[in-house]
Amino acid sequence: MLALTATLAEPEHFSLAEKLLLVVLVAASAAGFWRRFGVVLDKILKSKKDPSFHLFPIGKRVWDFVCEVLFQTKVIRQRPLPGLAHAFVFWGFCAFAVVTLNHFAVGLGISFLNPAGFFGRFYTYFAAVFAIACAIGISGLFVRRFLVRPKWLGKKLSWESGFIAFLIFLLMVTYLASFFVSDADPTTRILWWIHSLAILIFLVIIPHTKHLHLILSPATVFLSRGGFSQIPPLVGDEDFGLIAGTDLTRLTSLQVYSCVECGRCTEHCPAANTGKLLNPKEVILNLRGYLNDLGPASDTPLMESLAAPQVPFQCTTCGACEFQCPVGIEHVPIIVGLRRGAVNTGAWEDEYGSKLFLALERGANAHGLPASERDKFIEKQGLPIFDGTQEYCLWLGCMGGYDPKGREIIADFARVMNYLGTSFGVLRKEKCCGDPVRRLGNDLVFQQLAESNLEVFEQNKAKKIVSICPHCVRTIQEDWKEFGAPPTVEHHSEFLARHADKLPKQANGETIVFHDPCYLGRYRDVYEQPRTVVGLAGELVEAPRNHERSFCCGAGGGLVFLGEETGERVSQVRAAELVATGAKTVGTACPFCNSMFRDALAEKGEGAPQLLDIAQLTARGLPARGAS
Amino acid sequence: MKIIVAIKQVPERDAQVRINAEAKWIEESGLQYALNESDAYALEEALQLKEKHGGEVVVLTAGPERVGPTIREALAKGADRAIHIDCADLGNRDALGVAKLLAAAVKPENPDLVLTGLQSDDLGLGQTGVILAELLGLPHSSLILHVEKTDTGLTVKRELEEGWFRTIELPLPAVLTIQSGGNKLRYATLMGIKRAKTKEVRTVTAAEFAVDSVPVAVLERVALPQKQKSTQILPGNPKEAAAALVEKLKFEARVL
Repeated sequence: MLALTATLAEPEHFSLAEKLLLVVLVAASAAGFWRRFGVVLDKILKSKKDPSFHLFPIGKRVWDFVCEVLFQTKVIRQRPLPGLAHAFVFWGFCAFAVVTLNHFAVGLGISFLNPAGFFGRFYTYFAAVFAIACAIGISGLFVRRFLVRPKWLGKKLSWESGFIAFLIFLLMVTYLASFFVSDADPTTRILWWIHSLAILIFLVIIPHTKHLHLILSPATVFLSRGGFSQIPPLVGDEDFGLIAGTDLTRLTSLQVYSCVECGRCTEHCPAANTGKLLNPKEVILNLRGYLNDLGPASDTPLMESLAAPQVPFQCTTCGACEFQCPVGIEHVPIIVGLRRGAVNTGAWEDEYGSKLFLALERGANAHGLPASERDKFIEKQGLPIFDGTQEYCLWLGCMGGYDPKGREIIADFARVMNYLGTSFGVLRKEKCCGDPVRRLGNDLVFQQLAESNLEVFEQNKAKKIVSICPHCVRTIQEDWKEFGAPPTVEHHSEFLARHADKLPKQANGETIVFHDPCYLGRYRDVYEQPRTVVGLAGELVEAPRNHERSFCCGAGGGLVFLGEETGERVSQVRAAELVATGAKTVGTACPFCNSMFRDALAEKGEGAPQLLDIAQLTARGLPARGAS
Repeated sequence: MKIIVAIKQVPERDAQVRINAEAKWIEESGLQYALNESDAYALEEALQLKEKHGGEVVVLTAGPERVGPTIREALAKGADRAIHIDCADLGNRDALGVAKLLAAAVKPENPDLVLTGLQSDDLGLGQTGVILAELLGLPHSSLILHVEKTDTGLTVKRELEEGWFRTIELPLPAVLTIQSGGNKLRYATLMGIKRAKTKEVRTVTAAEFAVDSVPVAVLERVALPQKQKSTQILPGNPKEAAAALVEKLKFEARVL
């Protein structure tokens, strides 16, 4: 009876009773869908508006949508096997849209696709190829979830996911089986009804489970805040960050409901991987629980829904979570938002935090040192003062101006600039760029620092700024925008790479493992320039986690100023990874990473690799001072 | 409890101080100003007392128009209202003159407690608070690190030399001058700054108080300290150098 007829079989005739049954079932399914989806949509739309949101420039949005949604690039690139399996299921769904519509149209006697016709045959075959891929994909995902069981999916087995996988598999099998029967065959009718019921049950399940991401995540990806870790401005006199449900914006609520619970954020989180309480996936799910139970009009503190009030303050803002998220959740602005709510109202009490804030309220640097220390360094080093005639303004930053190792980096970078004949000068007065207070959520001090620095740049008309610190670069270029028009800033890796052909190549065969700073890589998308510079100084070695998957040094988000961390030290975990590569030297491009590894490597004793910034790696290859 | 905190605006700690043309005071143009450090601790003590026992915290300051941001900072940290004695010639008044101005403003308020910093970071006289107590006819204690309210008045912890402390009981109303470091200072918050906008700042001119402004103590001359370098390199191997260092610490520096 079963023989490949080469044509998709469709039941020949539907009685009126059958048609009525179909209509009733479709209506019931749609009602079941809306009963939940309507509630979710209402919660999102009743959330606060995002006043800073702009749809333009739209090009980037379209591009991200095409790449991340249609081509599933992020899903595949960051988890190749499950990513491909997922992509097959997704593409299968897309290819099936027309087939599914026609499927129900057949039941109502208004079919528009003739499987025996030229286009119909082509399309049903086309869909069949996807059906096979989708069936294989969903089987693979089923095996992964229920047999391989990666810990990021959570300890509890999700039976609803198993049921969904079964439904999808059933849909594909019933579709493919229809190629082996004829229209007149009673099996065809059975297959048709099973297929229909599977779809109608599936539709009801979608909004009740994490499969809501099918509908929401394309919108979430398209409606991103427009840049990596964009911290939205506070608006009006009553906005202090994320305190209660009334502070959740539509974008935040949309993101929270889009979470597919895949756990990529947590898999890559330095806090979650070193025994802290912070688990970015749980933060998102806690907020979803809040929206479900209390809604966007609630005054109940959001902090109460988290595991502990210190959770947001364990984040290094490395952005690995946000970078990895396949459904477009922007974790960092949410975590920083929770910090803002606590810090801007004074609810956060932390000895180290208060010390940092007081130091920056009054003084000019995060170390709490007198500004005269910076003047002494400039004088001793003979750094020229920027007067508007030089090409570059060299921004020292707190690390470059006050930290002994940071000063060495500045001194060496200045040497390289002199060697290249590039004119530069440093500012007579410079305040902290505000990075630690920005990330810790102290908007008052951040605004004071940003405005004060912007005023200095306004006066001296500096056009090109170069900095050794990726945190300064990011904060000046992106975060200062809230208060004015910042000058163009670049990181010294970009400057050095551009002049690579004029810098000596060191043929020493020394192995150098390069550590990607979070604020240079994920935040600025600069990966290759520092590698070019490292390549001049020796032989580049990659750490197991590199480029966009680089593991944080533990300093970011103001955490370097907050004293001892709980659990393992992030810096030690990363340093051990770098040491294990066997490289003779650890190359860094951020004074904070450098400072963290300085301590972590010191514990390794004699055999530890040497630690050098890319500026130092470059400077050591220059002819000795005085030599011509 | 109604607490008045007398505060002063002083040049920022990092300020590059220059002497003015008459060598009578520092050149004020181009200087950044901040809240005097021990006054910040006095304010903190007042805020903590208010949090525990309720009441009102009023900040009081004398100075020119530029003290505005310092007043707002105090209001942002939690003070309820402020009194600003507008006077441009603060530098010409001695501690008695300033205390007279403050006393004139304090009297009609009838506070339970007056706090002020131990001394100002610019002049460092340590007199104003004590004279203020005398003018008000109130009991006072200086160098206070901790204040506890009791049923009958206050128990205060006073700092003495060489790590000694003294506990004193005194009745209310009273005047205390607060030493730095007794409490942890709170940081200023965005919410505090926004709330401060609507708080009352009453400005009175020094002339309204009709107090005598002729100083009894006059600043003769101010000068920057001479730079002295007296670094010594102790010779010999580490053992000998360490022995020489101990010797010097014991008999020259007398710190051991």
